This record gives sequence, C-alpha cells and structure tokens, in this order.
Amino acid sequence: MDTQWPRYEVFEKERPDWPHRNAGSVHAPDGEMALLNARDVFVRRPNCLSLWVVPSDQVFSKTIQELAEDDSWWSAPADASAAVEKYLAFQKQGQRAGETFVIHAGEVEARSLAEAMSRALETFSHENVFVWWVCPDRTVTKSEADDAPSMFEPAHSKTYRQPNTYRVVTQMQQLKTGLALIGEEEE
Amino acid sequence: MTDEERLQEFEARIARGEKIEPGDWMPDEYRKQLVRMISQHAHSEIVGMLPEGKYITRAPNLRQKLVLLSKVQDEGGHGQYLYHAAETLGATREEMIDALLAGRAKYSSVFNYPSLSWADMGAIGWLVDGAAILNQTMLAKCSYGPYSRSMVRICTEEGFHKKQGMEMVIRYATQGTPKQKAMVQDAINRWWWPSLMMFGPHDANSPNSPQLVRWGVKTKTNDELRQEFVDEMVSALHAVGLSVPDPDLRYDTATGHWLSGEIDWDEFWRVVKGDGPCNEERLEARRKAHDEGRWVREALTAYAQRKTQG
Repeated sequence: MDTQWPRYEVFEKERPDWPHRNAGSVHAPDGEMALLNARDVFVRRPNCLSLWVVPSDQVFSKTIQELAEDDSWWSAPADASAAVEKYLAFQKQGQRAGETFVIHAGEVEARSLAEAMSRALETFSHENVFVWWVCPDRTVTKSEADDAPSMFEPAHSKTYRQPNTYRVVTQMQQLKTGLALIGEEEE
Repeated sequence: MTDEERLQEFEARIARGEKIEPGDWMPDEYRKQLVRMISQHAHSEIVGMLPEGKYITRAPNLRQKLVLLSKVQDEGGHGQYLYHAAETLGATREEMIDALLAGRAKYSSVFNYPSLSWADMGAIGWLVDGAAILNQTMLAKCSYGPYSRSMVRICTEEGFHKKQGMEMVIRYATQGTPKQKAMVQDAINRWWWPSLMMFGPHDANSPNSPQLVRWGVKTKTNDELRQEFVDEMVSALHAVGLSVPDPDLRYDTATGHWLSGEIDWDEFWRVVKGDGPCNEERLEARRKAHDEGRWVREALTAYAQRKTQG
C-alpha cells in the first residue's frame, strides 16, 4: 500500500470582506504542493482570492462538547522557556449553516497549541460558537498576492461550468406548453 | 455519563437540527454507517469519471469537449471532498484507495454499464446525474457536518452536469436528424433502468434505512427518492418526444404519480456483486491510473525530502 502523503487543511477566502474559511483537506508531500492541490481540488470556480494550507497534525481542535466534558488538555502548562509565537484561531459559528465550517477569527500569541487554545477562548466571543481550532502561523503556507492572477483568474472564463449557461428550464417549459424552441444562439 | 445518556443527548441534538462535528461523541454504528456510505460515494465519483472520460477525445466540437472535460474534472474533485469527509471519521486515504483497487469496496453500480455512443453523454448527464442530485440534495441536510458540507458544495457545482446532459438530449430529440434521434432514444433506453437502480433496493429490503433516517443521515427513503425521479423524468422525456423503456409504466390519476414496472433485481444484485458488464474494466482502469501515476508521487516525495534536508 503506498502512501497518500500527509493531510493539509485548506482555507479559502472567497470575497475581500470575508475571512478565510475551511473548505476541506488535501494530501500532499509538502506545503507548496498542498497549495497547488488545494487550487485544483477547491478552486475550479471563480470565487477565490487567497488560499492557506496547514498540516492537519498542526491543528488543535475542540468542539464545545469536548471543552465542556474534558479539560485535561490544559492540565500541563506550556514550557515556560519556549518561545512565544503567533497562532491563528478559527471558529465554527452557527449550527445550521450549510457550507461553512471554521472561519478565521484572528491571532493569539502563545508558547504551545494548548496555550493558544486557551488564549483564543479568552480572546474571542463564544456566542454561537461550536468548534475552535488553533494552529501555529509558521506552519501555514499561504498563496502570494502576486500568484493570485495565475492561480485564480483562469476560472473566470469557464462560463460553461455555471448552470445558468444552459437554458434547459426555459426550453422544457416551452416544450411542455407547445411553444417553439428558442435556440441557443439567442442567449 | 453512560453510553445510554450519551445516545439520548446525541439523538436530541440531531432532533434539534444540530450538526455532529469531528470530536463530538457519536455511536459506533453512526460512525460505521457514515464511513460505509461516504467512502462508497467517494469511489463512485472516482469510478464515475471513466464512462465519460472515454469520450473527451471524441467530442464533436470544442464546446462539448470543454463541457465534458470540466464535468469529469469536477467528479475527480468531488471524490476528493468525500474522501476528506470519510477521513474525519478515522478512515484513512490509504485504506480506502487500497480497498477500491483490490476490488473490496463498493461503488455505484451504474458505472459498471458501458457508454456505447456519444449520445450516452447526454443520457448520463440527465438521468444519472439527475438521480445523483436528488440523493445528494437530501444528503446536504445530513446530520454529520463534514458530509453535509461536501454535499452542499457538490450540489452547487453539479448544477451544470445535469443541465448540459439535458441540453444535449433536448437538442438531438427535437432538432436532430432521424439518426441522432434514434441514437439518443437508444441511450435513454440503456440508461433508464440502471438509473432507477441507483436509488438502491426497495425500502422493505433496505435494512439500514430506518436507523439512518432516525439519525438524520437520510431524510427520505430509497423508494421515495426513486418516485420523485420517475415523476420528473417521465414527463420531461415525453415532452421532448422520447419514450421510456418500460411497458408497465402507467400514470396513476388517483395519486398523480407515474408508476414504473419492477426493476430486474437479479440484474441489480449481479452487478452489485461484481458481475456487471464493466466491473473488471473499471477496476483495471483505476489500477492502471494508480500504477502509471506512481512515478509522479515518488518524484514529489523525493523533492519534498530534499527540500527539508536543505
């Protein structure tokens, strides 16, 4: 059985005013390839401005059910001599939302994943939050602004991927009511 | 908390419409059923690339080629979304791919039928994707967060898959030459019954269904979804002047439903168990693709290792 490589969690930013949000994961041998795989798997349509990937084993995740039932994850204090570094924090907000999982909430400074989780819990609102994630910023590979045109813009011209390119609902209505069919050339 | 109390809380969450997320407590049976369903669904997307992939080089014009290429590419991506969802439940990519290549995994039997003419691209898009979308629209509401989100994404993207098939069938059936009309009718004749089989056994023979409905994985039964499909497709096919290959098909004025004849369940089980027209060919194509891609995986691994070693 050959390896399928480690998993990377993928975050995409779809609009300038939206935060990065988790889309799923890909497998890759390193961050660079993970970013390219993420583009191919998650960005076949023109709604992406930026992508982040982070190795799944660098993500510390807690659902509110886990937080309520078990606090042993925080029993060991972080190594006091470890360097303080930046961590990204993510939250799943809302319980019924169809497509959205955890979204980027902000940054915290900490010396370990557990400390970062606890800082995130202190720093960000808990209202309507169901899942918390933290990961070290240095483990995240981010798409560069300069690469955005080559990575994301080609999807814009692929209009045949959009359902509204096909006039079949109107055609079917016309056929059912006995009207003459409007040809594709009249679109 | 006892397991009984946990189960009650779990079912209460589902009743309230909450999503279960990785890390949350769930019954072993829920996890097991989801891994079974999601991995089969992922394999179906991957194997589903094959009957259509064969026609990419045979498309009659550039637009059709771009459309087909995009559709097949989406299916590859959708397989990846679903493998991801199964991985959040503890299944590994290695196990799942290995099971598929070794012939141990199931996938939708519809892909074990051959695509014999260009018009099959229309029939597959309209009938097979039409059937898949009904199932997937239901699963988008499923109680397990990662599966539900994969489905929302897939349904959004697959909107065009069904429509491009429908467009092709309508064009050949209403504006085509006699030969094109005959070709598209033949494609509908061959894909009709395999499409009805996609919804699975009758409810009475589907032992997992009641529990899956109670746990919010499914919200409709196999027969309910199949009836929706028959009602939609029969009137649409008739409207474009095509017939449905079912001598027992009749409209029931009392209920307003089209009632289809009985599915050939012997054939259904034969194909599920591996003895369909293309089971061997499909697995052979997957193994070949896996073997021929090995050097790429090895090269990328070596490149990544050299970078970390400086």
